[in-house]
Amino acid sequence: MLKPLVMLIAGLLMVAAPAAVAQDPLQDERILLTFVPNIQFAPFYLGIEAGHFAEAGFAVSLDHLQEPEVLDLVAVGRANYGVVSGEQVILARSQGRDVVYVFEWFQQYPVGLVYDSALALAGLDDLRDKTIGLPGRFGASYSGLTALLHSANLTEADIEISEIGFNAPEVFCLGLVDAAVVYINNEPLQIQQLADAGDCGDVQAVAATSVAQQVDLVSNGLIINRALLDDDPAAAQRMVGAFAEALRATIDNPAAAYLASLAHVESLPRAAPLLEALESAADAQHDFLRGLPSRAEVAASRADLAKQLKSRFAAPVLAQFVILLSTIELWDADQLGKSDLASWRAMRDTLQRMGFLGEAPVELASAFSNQFVLAAE
Amino acid sequence: MQSRQQLDALPARLWRKWLRVLAPLATILLLIGLWQLIASLELISPILLPPPAAVAGALSKSLADGSLLKHAATTLEEMLAGLCIGVAFGLTLGYAIAKAPLLESLLSPLIVAFQSTPIVAYAPLLVIWFGTGVTGKIVTTAIIVFFPTLVNTIAGIRGLESRLRDLFRSLRASRWQTFRHLELPAALPVILAGLKTSSTLAVIGAVVGEFVSARYGLGALVIAARSRYDTPMVIVSALTMTALALALYSLVAYIEWRVMAWRRQSTA
Repeated sequence: MLKPLVMLIAGLLMVAAPAAVAQDPLQDERILLTFVPNIQFAPFYLGIEAGHFAEAGFAVSLDHLQEPEVLDLVAVGRANYGVVSGEQVILARSQGRDVVYVFEWFQQYPVGLVYDSALALAGLDDLRDKTIGLPGRFGASYSGLTALLHSANLTEADIEISEIGFNAPEVFCLGLVDAAVVYINNEPLQIQQLADAGDCGDVQAVAATSVAQQVDLVSNGLIINRALLDDDPAAAQRMVGAFAEALRATIDNPAAAYLASLAHVESLPRAAPLLEALESAADAQHDFLRGLPSRAEVAASRADLAKQLKSRFAAPVLAQFVILLSTIELWDADQLGKSDLASWRAMRDTLQRMGFLGEAPVELASAFSNQFVLAAE
Repeated sequence: MQSRQQLDALPARLWRKWLRVLAPLATILLLIGLWQLIASLELISPILLPPPAAVAGALSKSLADGSLLKHAATTLEEMLAGLCIGVAFGLTLGYAIAKAPLLESLLSPLIVAFQSTPIVAYAPLLVIWFGTGVTGKIVTTAIIVFFPTLVNTIAGIRGLESRLRDLFRSLRASRWQTFRHLELPAALPVILAGLKTSSTLAVIGAVVGEFVSARYGLGALVIAARSRYDTPMVIVSALTMTALALALYSLVAYIEWRVMAWRRQSTA
């Protein structure tokens, strides 16, 4: 009685087997990010939710760590991919970590200086004798401040540095510092909101100066370890290609990227009217992109969307979406992902000025590679 | 004059005394040997666990250029100031609560709630409230050492045998006499045990504060070394924190030994 049934199941399995084999299983990959889940990582969330990584053969998971931990784990092969800022790659390589930077995510260095617009700085030279808040003498903020001071022929001795941790909005609004080194896409907006609400002392409006306006420093990007580059460059190529697609999709359709990020960032505002507006905007943008608009036209469409939404929603509701839009300005470029030797040299010189590099010269040519970016085009 | 039996027992006593000194050293040497073995066999990448020689090199360099001592002195200063303030508050409030149960009913929910929140959650706020200088770190330290002192003071004072209180009452002892000659000596062993716990926690308070924002101190040194991928220096900083905590613990243990001399004599 059972025999025909067993034979039937075996037959069905034999028919089904080739179909299962034909579709390769996705390769698990962990990408190490810094900070905490945040809208600024939207391209990764969109890459997962919209299937960019899956189409490239990856089942991607994300972990958030401190930058040195990201770099060390990639260097020893505990993870194949990570995202760190450019100066970390130079510092780590000077200490024997053989990682390679393969995709410049932020085309503009995201650090800048925020100050009360009433301070009326005519130029950076006016920073002399001012108290500047800095998270600490480490990381991208310190590199950015050093580069900024150098561009104005100033040194640390010309200003007063106050180590304030990552509390710039609060410390600035309490009036403990004249200016603060911040992430330019995020914190000036937060401080302005506090000022608008009357919670920022005498400050009515804030002004910001970005490091990128003064000097081109290599910024945050995707790193891989040397072993992966040597042993499986095809996998690295697929990952870079998938991330480039996800990044372009985020730049082109930020509303869709915000909606994709909801599954990854618990703190994102998700009121129904906002989500309905974003869904509608995402659909409209999808249609608009079919016409193959230029980069400038896409940028104009983002500006229009921001204007429309600002007329409908209160600033706190829209804040995270506005942060995404201002961060996109730091990512956008005609050619995504490519870094140039001049920006690496500028960063190395900055680190040398900071006294972070030893006597031995740090070789830059093997610190980064544009091969996957160029091949992905 | 020592008896024959006592003389025979002398080498054994000496041996036991030396064993007590040598045993921890042997454990440390064994751990260093194991660490060296792991490094030599490259069981763990030197990027994650540098060999002992690299750590010794970093120690030597930082001692020679004075940076380690400068950072350690800052942390020690914050630890001692925080310890003094936290212990003073703990002793005073602990005594008051032990003597006035109503005060315990009023304050205990607040104290327990405050203490059950990890200090790292408060630390960024303390920087905002007390500024970016050493004050915030001292307050962080004071908060973390306060609770063990408070709890042990309450336990020490309340643990007094009632017959002794009755005796002092029958002798018409004043409040001060009762405190000076009964409560303080009787509660001292428990209070000092709390102080020993607090002394090891002081380093955590100071370093947590330094992790949030600082230019100097061992916490700042760890962050600076980590941001330069100088893992040996991170280990040197961590070991220095341990050394500071042990030194402070040993100091309190020594004070305890001296203060409690009367108790040993009376027991003997």
